[in-house]
Amino acid sequence: MATAAAVLAQPIEPEQASLWSDAWRRLRRNRFALISSVYLAFLVGVALLALVWTPYRMSAIGLAQIYSGPSAAHLLGADELGRDILSRLMVGAQVSLVVGVGTQLLVLAVGVPLGLIAGYYKGVVDTVLTFIINVFYGIPDVLLAMILVFILGPSLTNIIIAIVATRWMDMARLARGQALTLREREFVEAGRAAGARPGKMLFGHILPNALGPIIVQATLGIPAAILFEAFLSFLGVGVQPPTPSWGSMANEGVQAIQYAPHMVIAPSIALSVTLMAFNFLGDGLRDALDPRSRR
Amino acid sequence: MFTRGTLIYMGQRIVMIGFTVLAVSSIVFLLIHRLPGDALFNEKLHGQAYKELLHHYGLDQPLYLQYWNFVVGVVTRGDLGESLVNRGLKITPLVLRETGISAQVGGFALIFTIGLGIVLGVFAAVRQNTWLDYLLTTTSVIGYSMPNFVIAAFLILIFGVWLQNQTGGTFYYQLGGWKGGIGQLWLPAFALGFPYASIVARLTRASMLEVIRQDYIRTARAKGLRESVILIRHALRNALIPVITILGPLVIGIITGSVVIENFFGIPGLGKEFAQSILNRDYAIVIGVFTMYAALVGLANLLVDLAYVVIDPRIRY
Repeated sequence: MATAAAVLAQPIEPEQASLWSDAWRRLRRNRFALISSVYLAFLVGVALLALVWTPYRMSAIGLAQIYSGPSAAHLLGADELGRDILSRLMVGAQVSLVVGVGTQLLVLAVGVPLGLIAGYYKGVVDTVLTFIINVFYGIPDVLLAMILVFILGPSLTNIIIAIVATRWMDMARLARGQALTLREREFVEAGRAAGARPGKMLFGHILPNALGPIIVQATLGIPAAILFEAFLSFLGVGVQPPTPSWGSMANEGVQAIQYAPHMVIAPSIALSVTLMAFNFLGDGLRDALDPRSRR
Repeated sequence: MFTRGTLIYMGQRIVMIGFTVLAVSSIVFLLIHRLPGDALFNEKLHGQAYKELLHHYGLDQPLYLQYWNFVVGVVTRGDLGESLVNRGLKITPLVLRETGISAQVGGFALIFTIGLGIVLGVFAAVRQNTWLDYLLTTTSVIGYSMPNFVIAAFLILIFGVWLQNQTGGTFYYQLGGWKGGIGQLWLPAFALGFPYASIVARLTRASMLEVIRQDYIRTARAKGLRESVILIRHALRNALIPVITILGPLVIGIITGSVVIENFFGIPGLGKEFAQSILNRDYAIVIGVFTMYAALVGLANLLVDLAYVVIDPRIRY
């Protein structure tokens, strides 16, 4: 009796579970997403480390015999100029991450406001934006990016701009769709009735409610952007030498595929594993933020 | 199957494609012609010879006249001009010939993508929540995470390098020296289609799972039809409708992917020409090839719309 009373005497405090803590709990249970995050953290660490230290200078030539395979001194071997592949791979991680994350930040900055405004106000703005989006969807994106890099000149910034110019529509379309459904909800009407200004309405009320899908889209956009950069560099219109990119390293490796397969294997695996990790993380985030869409 | 309404719709679409192609090529034309330093500038030409060359290409005229001549040439004669690097090389026949080669590679890749994707998707759906299903759904993420040139590189390592060493050089895939034919086509087509096959497989699996739970499938089973007939004739036909929606993006993906794959395998198609002329700064060809690409994308989307009518008789335009 006494123990029962003691238990009852404790105030029952419902455990607070916000959308984010819920999502975090679900994400932690997803093994693939968790392993992917650990790998991506490692990759960011490698990229940061490469800022201050690499085993050898990435552009130094003749460090080892050309085309020589993996050895104790050069863990991943040397390339056609006798450069250390591991060092170049580490610097290449920087390029991939900067392009991937930088592109998505810009895509967010361009696509989200455009999409929200179009979806919220509808009317002419919406018609124009939808038309532009449809035109862009009809153009093969990698080809347009190649032409843009060709026009702007091949620098890292210009590559990012070119990718943004061909990838912003996904985000704009998503934000538009979110705004279109959210604007009909009661809390938006209440906000309008209370006299909230349009800017406050859009970014203070609608945006926070649309954040889940936007985060998922941004995460899944990172591997797409990294893939774009790899394509451009593979074709020789991307990052210019001596800066290494996984795409251009793979291209150099393909030239020597008969006698130095390690040259193509190293960047290929780095690229595939990174893209996979981002895709698994994005899928995990989608499941975590929107449990209804679970397969 | 094709009613009068469908034909009218097709006609409208073809006219629209024409306008889009013109708009896209105009934009690229105007963008590129604002570039400082043209392809001719690199050559060791001075004074009169250089001027004559400019005149030959009409580059001494003001931009609006150049543009007008370009548009008139395209619309009335289908003439895309002449290469700036290889003098006298007409672009239209060049581009048409290369389109044929690219279409072979892309067509094979498409057949392979759809075929493999649908087969794998159906298997995963029928054996839902077995090891086969888990294997297929997990490998599909790996599939679309691998860039096509990475897949191509690994295929070459296996079928080119490794097989050559194993069989003492009697039987292997030879890289380079393009002659065409199925013996050389299958590997690029596989590399080109594989990432998309996994997407098709995922979609087919999802929509199959939905369809096989419906009542009319149970009716078919109750009638005592064979399982293969139920799956293929009854379930798959309805399950394919959502799959067709991604055919459009898929075709665009294969077209863009072909640029990389053609350069990888040295296939003398549109994609190789596009990348090469960008590197050579031969912008007359860049414009020509891009115009061709815009037309191909438009036609591909039209064919996708027609595929709806073929698969689903309820859909009319």
